[in-house]
Amino acid sequence: MSQRKNDDWMGTPLPRKEDRRLLTGKGKYVSDIVIPGALHAVFVRSEYAHAKILSIDTSEAEELAGIERIYTGDQIKHLIKSMPQPIVQPALPAHYPTFWPLAVDKVTFHGEPVALVVARDKYVAEDAAELVFVDYEELKPVLDPEEALKPESAIIHEKDGTNEIFSMTFTGGDTEASQAENAAEVEKIFQNAPIVVKDRFKTHRTGVTPMEPRAILCDWDDSDGLLAYITTQRPHIDRLALSDILDISAEKVQVIAPRDQGGGFGVKAPFYRENIIIAHAARDLKQPVRWVESRYESLMNVGQERDQINDMEIAADLEGNMLALRNFGLADNGVGTTGVYWGFVMPFLGAIELPNGYKWPKADIRLKVATTNKACLTPSRAFGHFPTRFAIERCIDMVAHKIGMEPSTFRRKNLVADLPYTSITNEYFDSGDFLKVWDTLMEKANLPDFRVQQKNALSEKKYIGIGFGCGVELSGVASELFVPMENQPGYGAATVRLDPRGKVQVFGGDAPGGQGHETTTAQVVASEFGISPEDVIITTGNTGSTPFGSGSVGARMGSYFISAVAEACRELKTKIAKFLAHDLQLEASVEHFEFKNGEVVYLGDDSQRSSFMSIVERIIMFPINMPEGETGGLDATTFFEAAKPMICFNADCCVVEVSLETGDFKILKWITAEDVGNVINPLIVNGQMHGAIVQGISNTVFEEFVYDEQGQQLTADFEHYKMANAADVPNIDLNYATTPCPHTPLGTRGIGEGRPSSVPGALTNAVCDALKPFGIEITTLPLRPDAIWQKIQDATQ
Amino acid sequence: MAKVAIDINGRLFQEEVPERMLLVDFIRERAHLTGTHIGCTYEGVCGACTVHLDGEAVKSCMLLAAQADEHKITTVEGLAPDGELTPLQEAFKSEHGLQCGFCTAGILMNMTDFLKRYPNPSEQEIREGLIGNLCRCTGYVHIINAVRKVVQENQSRKT
Amino acid sequence: MYPAPIEQYSRPSTLEELYSLLDSNEEDILVLAGGQSAMQAVKSRMLRPAHIIDLQALSELKFVTSEKDLLTVGAMTRYADIVSSDSIPLELMALKDAASRVGDRQVRNRGTIGGSLCWNYSAACTPATVLALDGAMNLISPDGSTRQVAADDFFLGPLETARNEFEILLSVDFKLRGSKSGSAYKKWGLVTDALPVIGIAACLHFDNADCCDYARITLTGLSGAQRCLEAEASLLSTSANAEEIAEAMMIVCSKVSTYTDSMATADYRYQLIKTIGLEVIEIAKKRAFSLG
Repeated sequence: MSQRKNDDWMGTPLPRKEDRRLLTGKGKYVSDIVIPGALHAVFVRSEYAHAKILSIDTSEAEELAGIERIYTGDQIKHLIKSMPQPIVQPALPAHYPTFWPLAVDKVTFHGEPVALVVARDKYVAEDAAELVFVDYEELKPVLDPEEALKPESAIIHEKDGTNEIFSMTFTGGDTEASQAENAAEVEKIFQNAPIVVKDRFKTHRTGVTPMEPRAILCDWDDSDGLLAYITTQRPHIDRLALSDILDISAEKVQVIAPRDQGGGFGVKAPFYRENIIIAHAARDLKQPVRWVESRYESLMNVGQERDQINDMEIAADLEGNMLALRNFGLADNGVGTTGVYWGFVMPFLGAIELPNGYKWPKADIRLKVATTNKACLTPSRAFGHFPTRFAIERCIDMVAHKIGMEPSTFRRKNLVADLPYTSITNEYFDSGDFLKVWDTLMEKANLPDFRVQQKNALSEKKYIGIGFGCGVELSGVASELFVPMENQPGYGAATVRLDPRGKVQVFGGDAPGGQGHETTTAQVVASEFGISPEDVIITTGNTGSTPFGSGSVGARMGSYFISAVAEACRELKTKIAKFLAHDLQLEASVEHFEFKNGEVVYLGDDSQRSSFMSIVERIIMFPINMPEGETGGLDATTFFEAAKPMICFNADCCVVEVSLETGDFKILKWITAEDVGNVINPLIVNGQMHGAIVQGISNTVFEEFVYDEQGQQLTADFEHYKMANAADVPNIDLNYATTPCPHTPLGTRGIGEGRPSSVPGALTNAVCDALKPFGIEITTLPLRPDAIWQKIQDATQ
Repeated sequence: MAKVAIDINGRLFQEEVPERMLLVDFIRERAHLTGTHIGCTYEGVCGACTVHLDGEAVKSCMLLAAQADEHKITTVEGLAPDGELTPLQEAFKSEHGLQCGFCTAGILMNMTDFLKRYPNPSEQEIREGLIGNLCRCTGYVHIINAVRKVVQENQSRKT
Repeated sequence: MYPAPIEQYSRPSTLEELYSLLDSNEEDILVLAGGQSAMQAVKSRMLRPAHIIDLQALSELKFVTSEKDLLTVGAMTRYADIVSSDSIPLELMALKDAASRVGDRQVRNRGTIGGSLCWNYSAACTPATVLALDGAMNLISPDGSTRQVAADDFFLGPLETARNEFEILLSVDFKLRGSKSGSAYKKWGLVTDALPVIGIAACLHFDNADCCDYARITLTGLSGAQRCLEAEASLLSTSANAEEIAEAMMIVCSKVSTYTDSMATADYRYQLIKTIGLEVIEIAKKRAFSLG
């Protein structure tokens, strides 16, 4: 590791501190943690989408040797509070379903937990689970969101009397009257607009499946209470929720999200019902209990998102000005029994983010969310707006085709040019330069050249196409949005603690899942103190030692968390400078000192200096003869929140070749432009972008959760749920057009969470561009060869 | 119960195991080597559990421990026994070929075997060699860069 | 998921040992070759064998030999061995096409030709390929009696073969037809090298006048390995040019019924049959002519 000038580690492609242990098999994920005597839990899950539970017979299962306990819904419903509980319930008005960790009276989706077997051996636990006999009476499953909202539909959660879990109008103010007035104004624009495109855009059920499924290991002690190791992005929320629901006083609940987690991508952000019953079992049996989710359970229960229909209309004039946007969204929520998000929070945010980075003079945007007998939607990277971005980016191309304008020109003309800007759905764009990003992309894309190539290719009966898309991504989520959306604060929190040897410990309550927090945090701390990243260690995810954090969600690392770290460092630097000035008898404060090369140097006279370690040691270990009003010790906790929400912006261009014979296509090029703000570690930023884009491609083309007419999930293994492998995806040409964020101390932005959202539009646009000679417009995902081939057949026959 | 004697990373494990015990569970729970991970139920598609059996990459979730009796197993913990990372491990570090690390052990084991058999593969060959390992974080780009780096180093050493 | 309880695991190291194990007439025996498909069934508890007999130590079943006009592949020969074998002539190249695209490297390092043939999964690559190459299965019973079953009679339908419960597949014979013969296999799946939605194998021979005088075309992915007899017949006495192949594939489409699932529509499967069929037969033809 080379010493950098002024120890400025910002922007350095430093290999990660995490890597050595992960490359040598020394990582410790939840399933690797051993507590002697831990019992193994296996769930018995519903075989039906919708059915009454008539009886559950556990007697045969209980006879197997080594079975400790079998729980059913009937047994636990009097011992455990039902959901929802306020800590995991948003402030949004909705029909929140009541449920317990194990189904009570009826099952509402294929895969719902019905009983829990706890045994000494995990193989035997599975033997017993097979011997739990559940007698069901099948009910008609509700599987189509449009049917679900019809009056004649069966009702899934009877107490609500409706399957509409949530609905909202996002434009025209807060009253029905103002919204109606707005709708009428929008209607008038549509009636008079020279160009109107209206279509139905459907996105399938897909999401981001982490390679490590969920797991939990709970230990119980009558005096200390509950210790839970959980695969989670939100340990502090899990702790409060477990405390509330299980009536364990909060100081007796400790949750640890291990520093090694096999990806999260939103899937590990909800508060899950499985965790409640495992914790209860540990308390009940007074023994450690472990549950490790199988891939089958994972694909049956979590990672399912995107499932939306968007009826979209765009009005434009002949010069290519966007005039109005109208969108009626309908999301298939699934069953809704998942804490924090309840399914509908994703489509809610998707509707807010729908207008993207364009100037819409007028819009009418509404959303309905329907409960169905499928797994509850769970957050997946590009939270809620993968579907709405697909719709708008696709629809924009269709409008451009109708005007006879290059879709890229149409986009640029309507991108927000002056920031800050408040979108038509009241999303605040704090800073950035969308046009700079767009122009960077277009320069790389070289569209005029491509159009010549395309023409030449066509003369050889080769169909190549180019597609564009862009996305405004939330750079963390501010309290302003986070409190109503999830009933949680948005600030970033960090503790920075110096030790007498001049080393630094950082504590963060968020829980990363592979994004490299240890490295980027160390780079920032090292830059602030003028020391080496090797001298910095970070503890995350342990509620016993870290300040409260809402979790590793929504790209909060590069915006909120790292800003809190920087501010904590600066607070400590101020104190260090005060002591050093005092000791050197200088009239000076922090701005008169430079922290570099392991030293603190007085700028007025560089012979006046101290090694970083000695001054730190002096403040911690020798708290005598101090500046007036000071105490010893160097430990600071800060909470960072910018005044307004923050964003970042990116754009995609892809080039494809489509086979007319088979509808198969090959991605020939993927070019991007990104405004990620100031970069801490370019390797890590590149990795985030690659991963997000390929997830977007894989979701768009390959992955799909499929239910049959009875609501049976058909895709609960990797033979049927097809993730892209290395031979299925392209290389990616990343380009940066960065603008420092003026609202964070380091100019950084949070990146990567929303990044896949521009992918489905760009890719589908490219395929449609290749097939433009046939006038083909694709409005339904997944973007599969069979569907493309069918479109070609329909167009040519 | 079956008696097995399995050499893992040069250490011999002589154990009595239930006949149905999977090799991956033997590695994780009997040898306490938890670097080998489980990412599938029964399908054996994800490749996170890939180890070497007598030097060749195989999925340890698709074998019974009894099938590995009298064989040599190498796991990710055995790649760098003296603490010095292999060139492939080094390349994964310098090229940022891993994020969450859950699939990484399997990829290292597969690619170590792959490079032994195909010392000078094209990018397409590397991509096809990786089909048995799913990764959710990286989009595969940096993984391929890391493997290519080792290939280039090997080739330039030759010339 | 974990296997249901297994009472016994045996690993015979000679055929004699194997026969004595099989002779016990136990029920619920699973003879395990590479196990790359069978273990899926065992782990999901679709199969609950009481006794697993593992053939891994039978090194005598692991070979590829060619003698005059016969190539024999031992049942325990792995896909990886087939891919790297120098003994497989160009006219049987379909074997390598298939073996090199089964699953992934790790699967090919373990999975065997014999295991795949005896398992006969509905969307496997190997059975259709062996059927196109007119392989002959050499089977042996515990009492030492042997029989040879032609591929045509061996594959009875998905997960069903003519092998009796206690018979063991020793090897597969392939007759070489000499110059001007060629074969190929290709498949389409949603992701690269997935189980085929449609896979097609073809083996052709041309006479001195370059007319096709022998054709076998097989299909996999729909309901196991199946011959396309009428299409084969239509290619005979033709030069197997593009139109003639297209005509043959139209015949295939008229004879099979396809279905829609999460991977592809029924219509698309017909289209795949046409496009893959054309490609495979053209490759087979090209190979036939580069031989002689």
